[in-house]
Amino acid sequence: MTSNPARLRRNEALLAFAMLAPSLLFLALFTYWPIVRSVWFSFHDVLLGDPEIFWLGAENYTRLLEDHLFWKVLGNTAFYTLVTVPVSILIALLLAVALDGKLRGLAIYRSAFFYPVMIPTVAAGMVWVFLYAPGYGPINVALESVGVPQPGWLNNSRWALPAIMVMSVWKLSGYFMLILMAALKLVPSDLHEAARLDGVGGMQRLIHITIPMISPALYFVTIIGVLHSYQVFDYVHVMTQGGPADSTNVLTFYIYQVGFQYQDIGYASTLATTLLLFVLGLIGLIAATLGRRVHYLGER
Amino acid sequence: MTDMTEPRKAFASPVAAFRRNLQRARQGWLHLLLVPVALLWVSPLVWIILTSLKTRTEIFHPEAGVLPAVLRFENYPATLTVAPFGTYLLNSILVTGSIIAAQLVTITLAAYAFARLEFPLKRFFFAIFLLQVMFPIYATFLTNFVTLRDMGLVNTLPALIVPFIASGYGTFMLRQSFRQVPSELSDAARLDGCGHLAILWHVYLPLVKPTLVAFGIISVVVHWNDYMWPLLVTNSDSVRTLPIGLGLLAKADSGADWTRLMAGTMIVIAPLLLFFVIFQRRFVDSFMHTGVK
Amino acid sequence: MATVELRGVSKSFGQQGAVHDIDLNVEHGEFMVLVGPSGCGKSTTLRMVAGLEEITSGRLFIDGRDVTDAPPQKRDIAMVFQSYALYPHMTAYRNMAFGLIKATTLSKAEIEARVREAAAILDITDLLDRRPKELSGGERQRVAIGRALVRQPKVFLFDEPLSNLDAKLRSRMRGELKRLHQELGMTVIYVTHDQIEAMTLGTRVAMMSKGRLQQVGAPMELYMKPANTFVAAFIGSPEMALLPCRTEAGGRLVHAAFHSGIELGRDLPREVILGLRPEEVSLSRTGMASGRVERTELIGAEALVEVILADDRMTVKCAVSEAPARGETVALDFDLARARLFHAGTGRVIERNLESSRIP
Repeated sequence: MTSNPARLRRNEALLAFAMLAPSLLFLALFTYWPIVRSVWFSFHDVLLGDPEIFWLGAENYTRLLEDHLFWKVLGNTAFYTLVTVPVSILIALLLAVALDGKLRGLAIYRSAFFYPVMIPTVAAGMVWVFLYAPGYGPINVALESVGVPQPGWLNNSRWALPAIMVMSVWKLSGYFMLILMAALKLVPSDLHEAARLDGVGGMQRLIHITIPMISPALYFVTIIGVLHSYQVFDYVHVMTQGGPADSTNVLTFYIYQVGFQYQDIGYASTLATTLLLFVLGLIGLIAATLGRRVHYLGER
Repeated sequence: MTDMTEPRKAFASPVAAFRRNLQRARQGWLHLLLVPVALLWVSPLVWIILTSLKTRTEIFHPEAGVLPAVLRFENYPATLTVAPFGTYLLNSILVTGSIIAAQLVTITLAAYAFARLEFPLKRFFFAIFLLQVMFPIYATFLTNFVTLRDMGLVNTLPALIVPFIASGYGTFMLRQSFRQVPSELSDAARLDGCGHLAILWHVYLPLVKPTLVAFGIISVVVHWNDYMWPLLVTNSDSVRTLPIGLGLLAKADSGADWTRLMAGTMIVIAPLLLFFVIFQRRFVDSFMHTGVK
Repeated sequence: MATVELRGVSKSFGQQGAVHDIDLNVEHGEFMVLVGPSGCGKSTTLRMVAGLEEITSGRLFIDGRDVTDAPPQKRDIAMVFQSYALYPHMTAYRNMAFGLIKATTLSKAEIEARVREAAAILDITDLLDRRPKELSGGERQRVAIGRALVRQPKVFLFDEPLSNLDAKLRSRMRGELKRLHQELGMTVIYVTHDQIEAMTLGTRVAMMSKGRLQQVGAPMELYMKPANTFVAAFIGSPEMALLPCRTEAGGRLVHAAFHSGIELGRDLPREVILGLRPEEVSLSRTGMASGRVERTELIGAEALVEVILADDRMTVKCAVSEAPARGETVALDFDLARARLFHAGTGRVIERNLESSRIP
């Protein structure tokens, strides 16, 4: 009836592994095995549906270096991420600061800015195709009525990517706004009052008090923004199919094209591996720069 | 004593009044700035609704104006006849429901192990869970497709579910909540004769309901709206979900029939928006205090 | 009801709360109080008895049965926690019944009978449908005790159960616990850091410090005959004054501010500590020591006067009408017949018969 401590401890460990097992099984099958396999594939010639694969060594990677389209796509992806994330965060911050406190109609404003987060990307993409439509689209109709020249938006290789980026900002800002609002609620109000008594103006207070105090949330939102930028695939797939002239082609979409349209799984895996390194690198960079300062500020 | 308070009162009231006025003035300015921005944000939704109630000629007619001449609801039944939205809806419910049900089981078990049990290599395993958040779908979708193809699961409902059953993010979220349950409660439960599983079921789960609801809401929003993965693994109407159905409708109409398309869009976005309107507080709290994954 | 025996029980982990080699016998129907400052290991000791902490070495017997390795539910004990640890999502009734449902084969009717009986004893019958959130601190406390009562365990364990209550309620609950113990005659091990609780509740008190037992005995025994300076300083309020002295040949004590004048004993070590309770000191016109009054506190019927004697300070009780003012110099008389001496090095009490050393 009695049991010794060592056996108790072993039983606890066994129970723990039994409880982790379901998650570990699916993590292994659908997160870690595919990553390993995709790195493996990237050194091979693999065709979709063809069980035979051939060793290529680094050939896919040299091909990547010479692939002009890849560099263009990488540029588009970087441009998309590096502009939409900061702009969304800036808008979210301004909205969150404006809505902080006892503003009348707060719930209505909050819903108005947040509801795009609830909408499927495909639905959002379609509505914006309509909004951007040349001729009868409301944006162009409005521009025409004030006499401003109307670009073709999604049909124009110069304006297509920015057009998608505008809609991304519309879709994502509300989410960031909510997270920042939660962070703002935790800023002690006496800090603001003390600064106000010292005659510090609103803009100064925002820069010197609010932003440092909510920097962990800003950091979190930046990471989420980078991770979320894969959603651009949905927009590109629905709105432009990468065109015109690959001006809206981004890495996720290019991987999809290479893998599923050209059935070249080997090269697509090379692209996927590169994208993973790109994102991990970006997050590492954010962690090393912003992250450090956040932890410093976080230790109040 | 009274001498002291009297002047202070007299001094305080103008300041308070000034503050109130300042507050009111600030609010006025804010509304002036916020109303146009909010209208801009809402306009796409308004546009969807208005268009879904118009006729096709109204769309392209330059003199038709913004509002529909007559409210026409025909576009809705028309949309339902061109595509099997009933099947899509059912599939969406089945897929999202199965994902969230399976996730709740896996994350509950794993989170408890991480929060309350001691075992070898605990930190290593925890890192494995956390890193999943950093390896999003674009790093895995290609090979996951190959794996599912090898398993013969492509174009089945399970293919839409299995990649999402383990959630490092959910496990992390729930572990944080479990750790906030006072340890005296689990001590008390042990004295009451509960083993670990009984403690989990009778004590921990009832206490972390808000976290479970928050995770559930976020997960539902993400998977209900998911487009990329269902796009890859479905190729027949019997397994397609609402977002895919909508995408197909757009392609079939090739942008010509905006009225019908916007009615379809309304059908797809309505369920979540409706829930959002009804349970606004819950939704907002969930997203406020946790991130989407 | 039953006995508890700890035989060389030790617990080692880190620094805080480690326990060394505890030997303790709790008799049938005894109210044993484990008292000591926070971090002294008293809670760890209790948790080892409960089975919530592993016993690193030593054996534990409950009612003569070795339960060292038995899981908590097999030890026939019940525990009341500091935070009460009531399940927030269950009603008071269910909180009390839960353990019976999980760990016994009692029928629903039997469980209900037990809960109702305990509720009647604790006067919480009307509260059974409420959740902990809807109960006051004192009511939660009763439900927590009720949860232990319904188990009808061999031993009741209490872990600082009154420390979350306000002073008034605490003294009422103290009385109630005392009444319960007398009526039901249960065996209790009770942990507290509050020496007043220890003195008023315990049939015996076990004082702990730094993971070791310092002294076990009846409350007044600890008060009158502390085994060392540690027990002496901890038990009693206001504190016992501990004055370091030198001894002269012949056994007279010399302190920086006074000397004893009389011989206190032979063979004393050179350095000793003289321990005086406030009631063993009196203000007088021509005392053996004089000091400056630092502070006077009027606490109602009497006053507490803090007096500085060279580098030491001590508290003296006197009537309010006689209370000196701050800064005044007062003379003190010591009742050396009742005072104790401790080794300056080890802090242990020096065994001696004061009566015999008294000069007539």
